[in-house]
Amino acid sequence: MRLKIATGQAASMHGSETSTPNQDWAELLKRVAVRDDRAAFRELYNHFAPRIKAYAINQRFGQQAEVLVQEVMTSVWKNADKYNEGIANVSTWIFTIARNQRIDILRRMNRTNVEVVIETEELWQIPTEDTTVHSIQQISTESFVKKSIDTLPEEQMIALRKVYYEGKTHEEVAEELNIPLGTVKGRIRLSLQKLRMIFEAKDL
Amino acid sequence: MSHYHPDELMLMNYAAGNLPTAEALIISVHLASCHQCQTYVRQTNLLGGVLFEKITPATDDKLDDVDAFIAALPDRKNNLNGKNSSTPSGYRNPLGQYLPDDLRTLAWKKQTNTISKFDLNGLVGEKGANVTLQKISAGARVPKHTHKGTEYTLILSGGFSDELGVYHKGDFISRDASHKHSPTALQNEDCICLTVLDAPIRFTGWMRILNPFLS
Repeated sequence: MRLKIATGQAASMHGSETSTPNQDWAELLKRVAVRDDRAAFRELYNHFAPRIKAYAINQRFGQQAEVLVQEVMTSVWKNADKYNEGIANVSTWIFTIARNQRIDILRRMNRTNVEVVIETEELWQIPTEDTTVHSIQQISTESFVKKSIDTLPEEQMIALRKVYYEGKTHEEVAEELNIPLGTVKGRIRLSLQKLRMIFEAKDL
Repeated sequence: MSHYHPDELMLMNYAAGNLPTAEALIISVHLASCHQCQTYVRQTNLLGGVLFEKITPATDDKLDDVDAFIAALPDRKNNLNGKNSSTPSGYRNPLGQYLPDDLRTLAWKKQTNTISKFDLNGLVGEKGANVTLQKISAGARVPKHTHKGTEYTLILSGGFSDELGVYHKGDFISRDASHKHSPTALQNEDCICLTVLDAPIRFTGWMRILNPFLS
């Protein structure tokens, strides 16, 4: 098991079709799950924490970005055994955890009552088992999807990034780019259509 | 088996984590019974994961703290006792644990002779949320109405029809201010729906209100 990925070079390493880095990440998670392997966790941390932090900063967490990083990485540590390679690759799994922790922090700040409310993990569920027939090919598809995303027009990428990284509504994206709302929706729909074609071709 | 689904943009906003809680609730209830949308959410999650992987990483200037942080994580084995076996695995109905199996036994509040409602705002616990269960007696008609924002409806049992179609259990319908409609419950059984009126405030807006120094 060898994994020396300086965070800055990760993208280029992951670009090749032959390497399946997800298996490496998955292997590290397994070591965490099976024997509390802190060295393995450190490698995961080195790669993912700077991404979670960038995500938090983009989502305007400011000084609290570190809080999100620690909450997400703690959750990764605690739930390592729940990761299922058949459902999601590791970066998708960690993205969904980061998304949920972000929402949870915001919900705690905005709570109107202290009574029992429905949990964030119930509203944004991260299944641990597959209930549909797809997904075995999920892993091999990752690098393919990455490449396909690179072929999307820049204007579509900008819209996707604003929605996913910055948590912007379509209205806010339209205002920021100073273009009509319909244009924003059109761009996002086009990118989704293209992705759907990719997924269908891969039978995902 | 649903025939009407949330719009793909709404599902994507869900996957990106940008929906208000009330809208996330109605989406997640729909997901519990809709494989098609489960697959779509899986795909848009994958998109999120790929974008996440491509994000420009932030520099970590607190490397010493990391060692301390990792060393301080509790042993996992001690945490796990008996916990995992009970964890549900697939998508489940998030309202399941809060509502009786037979929704007819709820403490419904009568609005008219044929329409009752049950308030779920407390469960969402968020300002501006407008989430209710509605029960329309078999065959009854809801007076013509329109909404300020968008109204999302998910049929939990029975069905109804309006000027635009006929809907059954599991169907997800959205109607904006341009629709004036008067749904009529199907003849054979009472229709129970989960209804959400979209909140005027959104996450990002709240962040700004609460953290004027952030943006």
